[in-house]
Amino acid sequence: MLERALCALAIPPLGAVSPRRPLGRQPLAMLSLLWLAAVALGAVLAPYLAPTGPMATDPSRALLPPGPGIWLGTDFLGRDVLVRLLWGGRWTLWMGVEALALAVGLGLPLGLAAGGTGGLRDMVLMRLVDAWLAFPGLLLAMAVVAILGPGLSSVAVAVGLAAAAPYARVARATAREIRAQPYIDAARAVGASPWRVILRHILPNAAPALVAFAATQLGWVLLNGAALNFLGLGVPPGTPEWGAMLAEGRAYLRDAPWAALAPGFALTLTVLAANVLGDWLGQE
Amino acid sequence: MRRLLILLLVAAALTTGCTPRPGGRIVYGLTLSPSGIDPHINASSELGIPLTSVYDTLVYQDPKTGEFVPGLAQKWEVSEDGKVYTFYLRRGVKFHDGTPFNAEAVRFNLERITSPDLASQKARFMLGPYERTEVVDEYTVRIVLKEPFAPLLDSLSQVYLAMASPTAVQKWGSEYQLHQVGTGPFLFVEYIPGDHLLLRRNPDYAWGPPVYGHKTAQLEEVEFRFFTDPATRSPALESGEADVMGEIPPQDAARLQGSKDFRIEAVAIPGVSLMLFMNTARPPLDDLRVRQALLFGTDRRAIISAVFRDTSPVACGPLAAVTFGYNPMVCEFYPYNPDQAAALLEQAGWKDTDGDGVRDQGGQPLALDFYLMGWGYMPEVGQLIADQWSRLGVRVNSQVVSYPEALEIAKEGRHHLMPFNLSGSDPDILRRFFHSQGGFNWSKVNDPEMDGWLGEAARLSDRNRRADLYSQVQMRVMESALIIPIRDYVNLNGVNNRVQGLRFDAQGWFPWLIDVTLAQ
Repeated sequence: MLERALCALAIPPLGAVSPRRPLGRQPLAMLSLLWLAAVALGAVLAPYLAPTGPMATDPSRALLPPGPGIWLGTDFLGRDVLVRLLWGGRWTLWMGVEALALAVGLGLPLGLAAGGTGGLRDMVLMRLVDAWLAFPGLLLAMAVVAILGPGLSSVAVAVGLAAAAPYARVARATAREIRAQPYIDAARAVGASPWRVILRHILPNAAPALVAFAATQLGWVLLNGAALNFLGLGVPPGTPEWGAMLAEGRAYLRDAPWAALAPGFALTLTVLAANVLGDWLGQE
Repeated sequence: MRRLLILLLVAAALTTGCTPRPGGRIVYGLTLSPSGIDPHINASSELGIPLTSVYDTLVYQDPKTGEFVPGLAQKWEVSEDGKVYTFYLRRGVKFHDGTPFNAEAVRFNLERITSPDLASQKARFMLGPYERTEVVDEYTVRIVLKEPFAPLLDSLSQVYLAMASPTAVQKWGSEYQLHQVGTGPFLFVEYIPGDHLLLRRNPDYAWGPPVYGHKTAQLEEVEFRFFTDPATRSPALESGEADVMGEIPPQDAARLQGSKDFRIEAVAIPGVSLMLFMNTARPPLDDLRVRQALLFGTDRRAIISAVFRDTSPVACGPLAAVTFGYNPMVCEFYPYNPDQAAALLEQAGWKDTDGDGVRDQGGQPLALDFYLMGWGYMPEVGQLIADQWSRLGVRVNSQVVSYPEALEIAKEGRHHLMPFNLSGSDPDILRRFFHSQGGFNWSKVNDPEMDGWLGEAARLSDRNRRADLYSQVQMRVMESALIIPIRDYVNLNGVNNRVQGLRFDAQGWFPWLIDVTLAQ
């Protein structure tokens, strides 16, 4: 305890306590990053890679198994599953980014305000967050969609709101931990205002842990956003969003498993990659 | 040893036989779990599947001929003016609880249905301009109407107007739906909402209508279970979890049809086909040419083949082809012709001036709001139509809504297009959709001449005259391009081959379980 305090006094930590291993020596983290980059690139380049678009139907080519030219087969309306998967990244990732931005944008100030100042403010804010956390995330999200009406942006808002509460909790815990450090006392002793302490001293030091948790949260919002779309609460019918594709392909699981397996695997891998990256970022 | 085994097998085969034998039990899969199952109150088609066998109705409709045959009423007379129906009731009929069935019971039931306190969702409306019921003597009863109502016998042949035990209804009050008592071939044993409903053979049943093949039920028990997720239906059938399953998805039907243990019994359902209502009150669909263009631009054959795997016929008009009064002339209208569709849109002034692939006029793109419900293959049909029309330069904004939302949208007229289908064996069903005052007038049509035809046809008792009027209505609906018909409803029942003798009533939905037997 004493040793730790002395160390902290000697070298105020600027990043994580111990440096994480470089990406190159973490094959799993490397693969995850590559996968996410590939999905993002596929989504961005979809109009060039597959100019016919994800909606063009051709019933004469319905439910064809994977083969040359149609690497992941076709769905029940004869649409190329790979093409839809590429385009679908646009809806899925965009929804994820939107939701995450909302979760961080809402959870971070809340958590920092609570953990960085303590006292009554901390107590009131955290009891609110506790109440919020008492609802299972997906249930909360469904309730929000029910209020906002279906649509991809309501799904993003719903999932983002649900994810904001745990984010606020983690931000608060991290802020409290840092606030106990002697250099914060030092800053306060020289007359820094509470908000200056939070923004200049706590936030930079909390950043690594918060970025890591955000990456993990990305996995959660992607999964639950897809779940809402799977339930038909999000995108209009025919949109190649992965959750919606999974729901549509499910009806043909016996005869054309690729129509459901492809978006299922894409979603699994993306969520997994986000989690692995989060773990790697959070390594101490 | 081997010889002995073979001997035993032969003996077993001889004693059990391969012919149907009485007794046994089946599990019947229902496709949704209704919120309530009191036939006098609730409107679900699903409730009639079990309850048709718990109750009897005053009359029955022969599904082959469409004629009405005696049920609890041995004969009946209709007055000259079509307003008074006199029913002579069968004697010696007892409800499952021992209450005798008589004229007073009929009066009790009809009074219950029409009582405003009951808030009946369907049965009340099936009685049309009902005024009162008079008990003439113990076995004679008179139904008096305010004005003639031709569909009355059709209504009285359905489970929604079935005869329930007055004793049980009074005893259980609002709990009655869990303790139903009728006169039918099966007893209502128990109902655990969302889980199962159990029926047991009524050994005393001896007053079945002539359309039933047996005097009493051949099965000992029938259990109904709920399989709301379409993807689980065929697996449940194939794993033996259910013996009969309604509404098998078309893609699974093909596989079951090829199997030696199962068969598909496809039953065409009369009523209003699956169709898209075009809101004639909202531009640009107020323009007949645009509506006709959409009809010409819809490849219905491709939809039937892709979504329904050719298990349903293409619908030509508002009525399914198996409905009384159907006019086959409607099939002459609007064959798939994208060139003609494009020409009509050009005529109406819709051209793609900015080269974005969507036609526009006066700076407005040709975009249509398409609200649809998540069931009945509407989303799948919607996707295909959206893609077909995108090639015509028409953009479709589709959105899935719930049924209450759809009703709200229709009332406010916020839609351009909205699909629906409804079953019913009497063509009077058209009045609900195409009469200016109809509850489902989603096309927002206001055609006084058509209102007149629909009103007159509901009052006439002459079947031929009625059929003529409904023919005219169907032609007018298609000439005015009020709807885009998609498919006639066909219920694909998956059946385990050990189940024999499965037949359905004139509605196509309700099985006559009394005749079902098990082959061993």
